[in-house]
Amino acid sequence: MDNKTTVLWVLTSLTLAMGPGAAHAYEVGNVQTSGSIHGRVSFLGSPPEPLHFKVEKNPEFCGQERSLMKVESRDGFLAGAVIVLEGVNTGKPFPPKTFTGNSPGEGEFRYLGGESLGLQVKTKNCNFGPFTGVIAANEVVRFQNQDSIKHVLHSFVSKDTRGRILRTVHNQDLHSRDEIDRIFSSDKMEDGIVVRIICNRHDFMQNWLYVVDNPYFAISDREGRFTIDQIPPGTYTLLVRHPVLGEQRQDVTIEARENLQVGFQFMDE
Amino acid sequence: MTKNIRCLFLGLIVGSFGFVCALPPTEAALLDGLMGGVEESLGKRAEEKGERLVIGNFYQTERPDSHAPIGVMQDHTHNKGEFMFTYRYMYMYMDQMRNGTDNLSINNVLKDFAVTPKNMTTQMHMFSGMYGLNDTVTLMAMLPYVMKEMEHQNRAGVNFTTNSSGFGDTKLAALWRLYAFETPSIGSHRFHLNTGVSLPTGDITPTDNTPLGNNSLLPYPMRLGSGTVDLLPGLTYTGARNDVSWGFQALGTVRIGHNKQGYKEGNRYQINSWGAYRWAKWISTSARFHWQQWYNIKREDGQLQTTVGPAQIPLVPTVDPDRQGGQRLDLMGGVNILFPEFMGLENHLNIEAGAPIYQYLDGPQLKQAWSFWVGWQMVM
Repeated sequence: MDNKTTVLWVLTSLTLAMGPGAAHAYEVGNVQTSGSIHGRVSFLGSPPEPLHFKVEKNPEFCGQERSLMKVESRDGFLAGAVIVLEGVNTGKPFPPKTFTGNSPGEGEFRYLGGESLGLQVKTKNCNFGPFTGVIAANEVVRFQNQDSIKHVLHSFVSKDTRGRILRTVHNQDLHSRDEIDRIFSSDKMEDGIVVRIICNRHDFMQNWLYVVDNPYFAISDREGRFTIDQIPPGTYTLLVRHPVLGEQRQDVTIEARENLQVGFQFMDE
Repeated sequence: MTKNIRCLFLGLIVGSFGFVCALPPTEAALLDGLMGGVEESLGKRAEEKGERLVIGNFYQTERPDSHAPIGVMQDHTHNKGEFMFTYRYMYMYMDQMRNGTDNLSINNVLKDFAVTPKNMTTQMHMFSGMYGLNDTVTLMAMLPYVMKEMEHQNRAGVNFTTNSSGFGDTKLAALWRLYAFETPSIGSHRFHLNTGVSLPTGDITPTDNTPLGNNSLLPYPMRLGSGTVDLLPGLTYTGARNDVSWGFQALGTVRIGHNKQGYKEGNRYQINSWGAYRWAKWISTSARFHWQQWYNIKREDGQLQTTVGPAQIPLVPTVDPDRQGGQRLDLMGGVNILFPEFMGLENHLNIEAGAPIYQYLDGPQLKQAWSFWVGWQMVM
């Protein structure tokens, strides 16, 4: 065996040693010309009533009763829909953003942004954050418990929006004032598109985080509006996802300096 | 050629290391991702019922029967970072000699032996801790303090008692999450692998005063440990649905080598099967079958006196290595109580008691009459 063959053997072995290769990762780069997408997500029909829970664990801290609004609609527009532009490999950095849960919950999904999503889940007042959000595979997610009680973080991943099969990613205690870092590795995420997080001690703490691999995402505001900007010209798939209402998609072509208007409509089933 | 083989081995070793690294041993139950067909089938059934199938959830809801009856150990795993301290107290009473399934009177035994045991009590204070190392492995360590007392009678009608006490063998174990699935209609089902080792910290040369003399070496049943490193393999399954829970556990104690006294205790195999019903959020009751088989001692302790007098009369059955094995099926009833959370701690008080419904002994041996367990478990 000559030296080349030896090197080949070792390289092959090292490749094996690194385990399954990661899919093509998003890279932050210069966007010379770009377009944007503005849109609105509407909802036709009557949203389901919020779920009401009698708090059994730590009612002195969390309150005697809590509710969970899974579909938040106002004047026919849907809040909390996650809009994702698929297929962008290079472009703007991840934007820093913060989303806060509905009162009385004050949990936060804070995205630090930059080269990666940088998700931090700040649990406060028995609330992880808003009902929907986004998450990236193979990144450290920091969970902070700002409450003076223990929560038990349980995260699942699912490959269909309605979550027919939920696969546990982590079971972990989140002690009072504690902070833990967990990675949602691509091995565990497989072809999962959504991560559900719950607290095993407080059943009203439920959230859904859609998996994104680029910064071209948005979450519809209380008027159903969303904006995705600095999009490199090209043809992509625009997805709108909601844990209860399902998923819609449309192909979009972005021209340089174009401001594309789109609309999505979900209906009461 | 030699270089080729060297490179091949180098590649295999590095590649194998990579393969092991690629496995998710510290991030998931070991069989996660390997049960695709089963999951699809269960998922379809769940969907037909409008339910979700949850895979890999080992979290035990805080309920009194989330822990097995107190006589069962290593029955559950813990979340990463979770710690549980357990104190167990066990009292076991043995009374009357038996050979096979036949009870023997004292006079029956004294026909063949110079001395017979009459009864024996064993008390154990067990201190153990469990810790969730990661999403796969829960570690367990247990140190018992053992107190034994045996009452005897000899042919002259003289009664005497021997005692031994001290720390027993230390058990270290790792519990490996294998697989878990649940839906509301079929309940939760969890499997884990038990691997462990017992270290010989218990005294195998206890002594006490007997009619034979002061500081006589006590026989096998009075010893506080096995004197050998023992392997503790096992498999545990637990399930729960609504107010009912159940479990099954098979555990082995496999002795490695011989101890410093030159003998090896027989291997021991046990199966636990239990069911529990939760009457309220804070109390459950349980019934448990516990089957055990243990084998005779291999070789013998050469320092033990086995006969007495010029006629070489066998001294006592407890020094005979071939009179130590047996089988037993116990039926146990228990109560588990979950206390309100205090300072963030989950507290369980568990009690269990029962008696054998079948025992076959390679006797004459003392048969077990009954046993009682009480334990306090504190999860933090």
